[in-house]
Amino acid sequence: MEQIRAYLKKSATYQLIQILEDGLEDFLTTFGEITIRGLSALKYILTFKINWKEVLEQSARFGVSSLPITISIVSMTSIIVAMQVAGEMVKQGGGNYVGLLVAMLTVRETGIIMSGFAIISMIGSSLASEIATMRVTEQIDAITVLGVDPVRYLFVPRIIAGTLMMPPVMIIASTCGILGGGVASTLVSELSYKAYFSSVWSGLFIYDIKVAIAKAFTYGFTIALISCTCGYIAKGGAKGVGIATTKAVVWSFVAIVFLDLVFSIAFFF
Amino acid sequence: MIKVQNLIKTFDEKTVLNDISFEVNDGETLAIVGFSGSGKSTILKIICGLLEEDSGTILTSEGDIAMVFQYSALFDSLNVHDNIIFALRERKELRKLYTEEDLDKIVEEKLKLVGLEGVEDKYPSELSGGMQKRVSFARAIVTNPKTILYDEPTAGLDPISSTLIEDYIVRLKEETHAASIVVTHQMSTIQRTADKVLMLYNGKCVFQGSPQEMCEQGNEYTKQFVTASLTGPMKMLTE
Repeated sequence: MEQIRAYLKKSATYQLIQILEDGLEDFLTTFGEITIRGLSALKYILTFKINWKEVLEQSARFGVSSLPITISIVSMTSIIVAMQVAGEMVKQGGGNYVGLLVAMLTVRETGIIMSGFAIISMIGSSLASEIATMRVTEQIDAITVLGVDPVRYLFVPRIIAGTLMMPPVMIIASTCGILGGGVASTLVSELSYKAYFSSVWSGLFIYDIKVAIAKAFTYGFTIALISCTCGYIAKGGAKGVGIATTKAVVWSFVAIVFLDLVFSIAFFF
Repeated sequence: MIKVQNLIKTFDEKTVLNDISFEVNDGETLAIVGFSGSGKSTILKIICGLLEEDSGTILTSEGDIAMVFQYSALFDSLNVHDNIIFALRERKELRKLYTEEDLDKIVEEKLKLVGLEGVEDKYPSELSGGMQKRVSFARAIVTNPKTILYDEPTAGLDPISSTLIEDYIVRLKEETHAASIVVTHQMSTIQRTADKVLMLYNGKCVFQGSPQEMCEQGNEYTKQFVTASLTGPMKMLTE
C-alpha cells in the first residue's frame, strides 16, 4: 500500500492536482484576507476613526508622486491610438470622428485603466513591499502589542488616499491623453486642431465622465486594499517581501480588469 | 504577575509547547532558555496575544503588556521621539491624556532612563543596534506596563553592549516593578537578570529553578546547556 502511495505521489497527475490544490488554497486565503481587512477598514472609515495627517501624507504619495508616470502612460496610449487611426480615418473621410474616438476611448477605458496600471506598478507595489517589510521585521507585531490595530494605522489612511486621489489623477492624465491625441493626429494627418477638438466635444458625455469617476474611486480603493493586504500577510524574509509585492501587482491587475468588465456590463449594455 | 498553566501549542501537527506551566511574580524576572526552535518566543507571543494557544490558561496582571523584540522592531518611518510615544498618540484612550509638551517630557524622561538623551530626532537607521534596542526599551515602557517580555534582548550585540542591556533590564525591573520574562541563550543574561530559569526541550519543560540551581544541580539538560556540550540528552533538532 505504501509503495502504491509513493508511486502515485511521483505521478504527474498527482503533482498537477497538488499544484491546483495549493493554488486554490492560496487564492481562497488571499481573497478571504482581502475581504476581512476590507470590512475592518470600512468599519473605521465609516466611524471616522481616521488619522488625517497620515491620509495627507499618503495622498501626496498616491497623487503627486504617481502623476508624471500616469500622465506619460495615458498620454502615450492616446497618442498611439490617434497615430494609428487619424491618417486612415482622414483618408476615408472620417476626420471629424478622430477626436470623438480618442476622447471616448480615453474617458471610457484607456484613461482609467492605464492610470490604474500605473498606480499599481508605482504605488501598489511600493505599499505592498513597505507593509511586507514591516511584517517580516516584526514592526506590525510591535504595533499590535502596543495596543494599536494595524488595520486602522496602516490600511485606513492608504485606502482613503487611494480612493480620493485616483479620480483627480485619472482626470488629469485623461485630459493630457486627449490633448496628446490631438497633437499626434495633426502631426500624422492633415487634420486641424479645430476639427479634432470640435469632434472631441461631441465624444464627451457627462454619463461617461461620471462612470469614469466612479471607476476611479473603486479602482483606487481596490488597489490600496489589495496592496496593503498582500503586504500584511507576507511570510518569511526578503523572499516573502518579493512574493507579497508580486502578488499585490498580479492581484491588482486582475481585479482592475475584472472590475472594468463588471463596469462595462453594468453601465454600457 | 504572569501565571501560565498547562499551555499547549501546535503548528502543523508539531507540538511546540507541551503542557508548560510557570509563574512570575511582580518584580521578578524569569529567563526562558533552550535550543533555537524550542518554542521560547512562541510563549512570549502567546502571552502578548500575537498567537493563540491551543489550550491552557494565561493570567497576567491588569494593565499593558510590553514586548521588546529581538531586532528592536522600531518603526523605520518614524524618528525616535515618535517611536517612543507611538502608543500614546495612536491609542484613543491615551491620546486625550497628554499634551504635546507632556509627550516631549515623557520622551525625555524615558530616554534618560535608558541612557540615550539627545537622539529624539534621529531615525532608527541612524542608530547602532544597541541604541535601537534601548529605544525599543523606552518605547515598551511608555505605557507603564505591568508585564514586560524580552525576546533575545542581547542577540547580535557585542559583549559590552550586552552588559549594558542586561543592566537596563534590571533597572527597568526595579523602576517598574513589572513581572518580566527574558528569552535568551546567553548565560551572562541569565545570571545577571533572572530570578528564575525555565528550560525547554522538545516542547517540554526540562528544568525550573534559580540560576544558581541551574549551574549547581545535577540536571543533565542544564549541565549540557551550561557547558555547551555536544554530548548529553539534548540532540540538535536536525539530528
